Amino acid sequence: MPAKVVTVTSPTLTFGQRIYFPGILAGLAQTLGHFLKNLLSLTKTLPTIQYPEMRRNYSDRYRGRHILKTRHDGTLKCVACYMCATACPADCIHIVAGEHPNLAYEKYPTTFEIDLLRCVMCGFCVDACPKDAIWMTRDYEMSYFSRKDAIYGIPELTEKPSDTAADGPGYGYRPYYGESPARKAGEFEPSGLAVLPVMLARNAAINRMPPPPKPAAPPAAKPAA
Amino acid sequence: MSTTTPSPTLAFAPLLERKFGEKAAPEARPAADVPTIAVDASALHDVALFLRDDPSARFDLFLDLAAVDRLKLAGPASYRAGERFAANYLLYSTERNEHLRVRTTAPAADPKLPTLTDVWWGANWFEREAWDLMGITFEGHPNLKRLLTHNGFVGHALRKDYEAGQRWLCTEEDVLQTDLAAQTETPEDVFETLTLNFGPSHPSTHGTLRVVMRCDGETIVAAESECGYLHRCFEKMSETHTYQQVIPYTDRLNYCSPMINGSGYARAVESMLGVEIPERARAVRTVLAEFSRLMDHMVCLGANLVDIGALTNFWYAFQAREEIYSLLEACCGARLTSSYARIGGLSNDVPENFVEWCRRLVKLCHNQIREVDGLITKNRIAQKRFRDTGVVTKEQALAWGFTGPCLRASGVAYDVRKDAPYDWYDRVDFDVPIATEGDNFARYLVRMEEMRQSLRIVEQVVAKLPNGPVNSDDYRVVLPPKEMVYNEMEGLIYHFKVVFEGIPVPAGEIYSYTEGANGELGYHIVSDGTGRPYRVKVRPPCFPLFASFEKIIRGGMVSDAVATLGTLNIIAGELDR
Repeated sequence: MPAKVVTVTSPTLTFGQRIYFPGILAGLAQTLGHFLKNLLSLTKTLPTIQYPEMRRNYSDRYRGRHILKTRHDGTLKCVACYMCATACPADCIHIVAGEHPNLAYEKYPTTFEIDLLRCVMCGFCVDACPKDAIWMTRDYEMSYFSRKDAIYGIPELTEKPSDTAADGPGYGYRPYYGESPARKAGEFEPSGLAVLPVMLARNAAINRMPPPPKPAAPPAAKPAA
Repeated sequence: MSTTTPSPTLAFAPLLERKFGEKAAPEARPAADVPTIAVDASALHDVALFLRDDPSARFDLFLDLAAVDRLKLAGPASYRAGERFAANYLLYSTERNEHLRVRTTAPAADPKLPTLTDVWWGANWFEREAWDLMGITFEGHPNLKRLLTHNGFVGHALRKDYEAGQRWLCTEEDVLQTDLAAQTETPEDVFETLTLNFGPSHPSTHGTLRVVMRCDGETIVAAESECGYLHRCFEKMSETHTYQQVIPYTDRLNYCSPMINGSGYARAVESMLGVEIPERARAVRTVLAEFSRLMDHMVCLGANLVDIGALTNFWYAFQAREEIYSLLEACCGARLTSSYARIGGLSNDVPENFVEWCRRLVKLCHNQIREVDGLITKNRIAQKRFRDTGVVTKEQALAWGFTGPCLRASGVAYDVRKDAPYDWYDRVDFDVPIATEGDNFARYLVRMEEMRQSLRIVEQVVAKLPNGPVNSDDYRVVLPPKEMVYNEMEGLIYHFKVVFEGIPVPAGEIYSYTEGANGELGYHIVSDGTGRPYRVKVRPPCFPLFASFEKIIRGGMVSDAVATLGTLNIIAGELDR
């Protein structure tokens, strides 16, 4: 039996609490207090994030879309060793190995596909890679018009300048090599009335964006046999 | 590893031997596992009665039934014939604070065991599950139907000779309603009563649960609950993955407190391996498990209060939860599916500002708890909805196999963190809140107090958070640091072996238990010495809670059933696995 046990008992209500109205007023006062505090707090952060104008600042361990890292000459660091595909609990990585024309590199992936609809974003592939070739970004806005689009091949996965641009997602989960793994992480974006102009400008920019492409027309149905 | 502290000699062993002779004999087990007695199937029912009623035994709580198909397990030929199926009954004595495993076997052809439902009612759904997934018939069981799979399912999925790729269409008609009509005490009442289908996608079921009620006006005269809508074959999938690869799946069991599942599983495997994890990892696991418990209770209370009409509390509770998620995300990289625990430690060290962040969160959580407390605890409407509804007495709670806050609200002070301390729980000072009423309000109060105690634990651990590594340096188990992998042959070989072959867990069996947010979360793992688990059986804490739901709500109002379902805190992810 536990050494220390506290017994919680239901409180008995006073007359004031039993006649409802003081309680209702106290409750209204509490919610009104929150309303005023949120309205007037110009520097403090509001709990609500006005997505997509505002975004949460994720830590640089965030496990988002994968990227394949490249060497200085632009070739993939990946040597097609199948470690990530083996470590993957969701079995979503498909690799075909080939012989590289450059003898120094020996082996490279001719096909490297990640089915992002199967992926559970656990980061085990990043942990398993012995060549520092697969990282994750902080990109979490992944939506597709068809299941086929969700299978990313080498062109989609290779790291692009836009991944680390100022308004890009930035690097997420990666092996910590030669640096302290303990880093500061994750703060909110400031909110409140002070950032209202910024939000309005972002809203205008989002509304100017071109509409997404129409999904490809389905192939014509085969005539019945 | 201080997972379990079993007494080496069973107090009731001499009496057991005198009464049953060779039919019930204690087995030698490793110290990390729970004590076990092997019982012949013919004597099982009598032994169960003895274990429940004898003053030297008094195993009053039925925890789990883990059935194992030993067809492909290395061992005597009897594993493939007369002793193919092993049924492991896990029992607990609240008086003497002892776990016990009762093991019995059933033959390969037509496996049959006597039911223990009349000894511990809590065995009811566990036996149904064992029949459904393993195909063991329990003679005398009142309602031996499929539970997690549907009626059109052919075969028993967890048998080792079941081919996993098969698909079965669900076409058979639902039989719940006709069963219900038979259950009402006076058949003439059927004309007066109305069948009400509640769920599986009712907003207050918080997931996919189904209850069919037979109502006389607003009063429920009979009910039957059904689960399995979220069954994802967790246990079958674990058998085809390495020990490390199971960790992301444990996050999806109780998705309100994923850290507890992950570290509980990792601890089970670590105690099989005999690996010690560093102090820092244990402290961090304790902190994050307590924060997860807080999140779970906040989801439970917040959602429950919405169901009974108090909307504001939902936001107060969920704000703290969102902030805790931010901390978790900074530690492991995802808000919900944390996958933070690894066998042998953690995936990464915590961020630099972990301690100050935790302190800030503790302050915020205290604040949010105070807000909810101020609006609800002395609110007459909430009291009217919660008090004297969904009452579970102490005897019922024990008989039905309750654990966790729901058992404590009925007056039994069983908490794994106190009774078998793991991680850092023996180094911190905290109280176990109990209540005696056993109604919804008691469960609400116990959860509120538990949140405050969790914050106390966090404060104490964070004040003493040690420095150092977060992973064991045993590279048979843990991936070596990247410096070694990139630069040294030896490191690369270790890395290769862990990824490709998995962790070689020695052959054996363990029942490891953790205090989950809803109660005792048990992992019963059988290893055959390879890198993949032979069998993983999870004891989901809310399984017995939902099994007895139909009994609790009988005689009450429909709206009370909603409040009761909320305070029991059924999480479909771990209920259905």
